[in-house]
Amino acid sequence: MDEAEGALIRQCQAGDKDAFGRLVKQCAGRAIGAAYMLLGNRDDAMEASQDAFIRAWRNIRRFNGRSKFYTWYSAVLRNVCLSRLRKRRHPTGEILVEPPGEAERDDPSILAERNERTDLVRKAILRLPLKHREIIVMSHFQHMSYKEIAEALAIPIGTVMSRLHNARKALRGLLPEEIGRKTGG
Amino acid sequence: MSCEEYLSKITAYADGELPADQRDELEAHLRSCESCRRELAETTALKEELAMIKFSEPTDAEFERYWSHVYNRLERGIGWILFSLGAIVLLCYGGFRLVEQVITDPTIAWVVKVGVLALVFGTVILFVSLLRERLAVRKADRYSREVER
Repeated sequence: MDEAEGALIRQCQAGDKDAFGRLVKQCAGRAIGAAYMLLGNRDDAMEASQDAFIRAWRNIRRFNGRSKFYTWYSAVLRNVCLSRLRKRRHPTGEILVEPPGEAERDDPSILAERNERTDLVRKAILRLPLKHREIIVMSHFQHMSYKEIAEALAIPIGTVMSRLHNARKALRGLLPEEIGRKTGG
Repeated sequence: MSCEEYLSKITAYADGELPADQRDELEAHLRSCESCRRELAETTALKEELAMIKFSEPTDAEFERYWSHVYNRLERGIGWILFSLGAIVLLCYGGFRLVEQVITDPTIAWVVKVGVLALVFGTVILFVSLLRERLAVRKADRYSREVER
């Protein structure tokens, strides 16, 4: 955590909501994007990331600054997203991911650039089992290190390595032939 | 070591996360194993595909809407806590006075008194039971907790 972020955190811990607003501004884009990749729905992603910021504010005094704020926040966000997915769970145990609706298609605000290729990869990620999807999101979209992932998931680093390998292998298998040839799927 | 055992190390190597002492061993293996070299190339290609998905930062106007929603809920939090506390205190006091009046009033039939008492005790048991269940679920549900760091 750099000095500027440390100062913001101290202000937040003293109850300064404007300082928290500046922290939220630094993280909002990434947070909404990560929630979107986990939940597959723009409105849910907006709500989940906002819920997670509210939880983070309520627990800000528990944050001891050993990691970056976003790393801590991402664990809170993951918990919020998984709770939402669990509520969506079908009686068969399958987790339901809503397909992108018309409103989402018309709103490009979450993804910086959209084309057919990125849409195919994104949809393949949403078809992954939750265990694989979350580790892909943490590693590729939240840029968390293996150590940070291990802490957030409470698993050893060796398990992070093997789970990430399995998740990538599963993702390669779900990619369409055109992309799959390049990635070995 | 078999190629199967090198696979997760290849993942870590592609991410720059493999410890130095294992890196040399893997690089030596890669020089002699074509299938593991292919695995590394495919992992790198997948990482490039995933890197093409980027999230945009909200514009100032979008962020203002987003933040005002969060801010309003932060402000309301303390309001809801005070409101709930006040409601609980008043309801408990009102309930206590009502029961007291019913029990001590000699004009009210004993059947009504028994009914009121059963209703009050039933409500308390249900409330405590629900509270215990909620607390037990919260304790067991790792997804409902924050991570302390």
